[in-house]
Amino acid sequence: MNKVMFFAHLRDAVGEESVSVDLTGKTVAEAKAILSEQHGINLETVMTAVNEEFAGDDDVLSDGDVVAFIPPVSGG
Amino acid sequence: MDDRYSRQILFSPIGKNGQDKLASKHVLMIGAGALGSGNGEVLTRAGVGKLTIVDRDYVEASNLQRQQLYTEEDVREKLPKAVAAEKRLKAINSEVEIVSIVGDASPEMLEELVRDVDVILDATDNFETRMAINDISQKHKIPWVYGACVGSFGMSFTIIPGKTPCLNCLLKRIPIQGMTCDTGGIIGPTVQMVIAHQSAEVLKILVEDWEAVREGFTSFDLWRNQYTSMKVGKAKDPGCLSCGDSPEYPYLEKDNLSRSTVLCGRDTVQIRPPRQSEINLADLANRLASLGYGVKANPYLLSVEMGEQRVVIFKDGRGLVHGTKDMSQARSIYQRLLG
Repeated sequence: MNKVMFFAHLRDAVGEESVSVDLTGKTVAEAKAILSEQHGINLETVMTAVNEEFAGDDDVLSDGDVVAFIPPVSGG
Repeated sequence: MDDRYSRQILFSPIGKNGQDKLASKHVLMIGAGALGSGNGEVLTRAGVGKLTIVDRDYVEASNLQRQQLYTEEDVREKLPKAVAAEKRLKAINSEVEIVSIVGDASPEMLEELVRDVDVILDATDNFETRMAINDISQKHKIPWVYGACVGSFGMSFTIIPGKTPCLNCLLKRIPIQGMTCDTGGIIGPTVQMVIAHQSAEVLKILVEDWEAVREGFTSFDLWRNQYTSMKVGKAKDPGCLSCGDSPEYPYLEKDNLSRSTVLCGRDTVQIRPPRQSEINLADLANRLASLGYGVKANPYLLSVEMGEQRVVIFKDGRGLVHGTKDMSQARSIYQRLLG
């Protein structure tokens, strides 16, 4: 199983700070597609951290990895 | 005022040597909104040698809740932010050379301005300008400090050319529909937290304490009590067009910039985003309506009243700003909505 955390407006859209979902063996791109579908959110240009380290779309997730989606914001 | 910087000099990582370095350095700050106000004040009080401020907007009542340099009088006079900031900062510290520029920070302007600059401070409100700053920083090997916030959520990252990944390595392209303060709101403490992160990094860079520069990408949510630091070392991409082995600096190219055109005889400016993308119009319409803006939307476009202007956004991201012929003002209004 994997813990998936959402930040900023993604958290509002999902309604929870984190969800538990099995993403073992999936790439980050596949994980994004699954979660976008499940929660009706757009993760296209969102940064992904796996275990607090930047992850690319091709990185493969292992059991127990903590995934965080960090949307770049532009306000200033 | 010999005593002026005594407490900062007592702080050992700065010391007398660091203070002398600060006084000889030049900071280019792009933007004088919330982040620009606070960062500008910290650096002016700290005694940097020179601060150049670029901003295209004027002071409005909705700025006063968080943009600490501005007053009700600035709102009444509709002073450009760069001018109001210069006035206030000079009153705070007359020893600092403050230069203000009222205008859009285009790639051409950035090329002119960076010649003798030691660090670029990002206080903008949009990714198009940030990507141009990112390319200029790589091209001229000048560090820059990214900062941004919306609601109670903020982030900051320090880019050192030749060492860290750049913003293009992390984002790959300009995020469209990045949340902005005009669509997601903002509270003062979030601004202050981002300012604290950015200005501390700028001080480290100016006193050349490179070891102390933060390596991670920091983000936090002050309301939800979250604080994260993401390691980014492996994000550095040798194929990156901004900082890789064969850089092309794509965001300094005119083709990759949003194009604005004054529509003949219509008091309207049209804005085309740098790349086509499908905008979630329903989501944006709901958000703007909940903030009290007058919004009308159909499956093809939405229309929103923004003060004296009316903005129409099409599904492909194209925008029409009615009620102005000023391209800089129109871009500013457009980017408030879409980031």
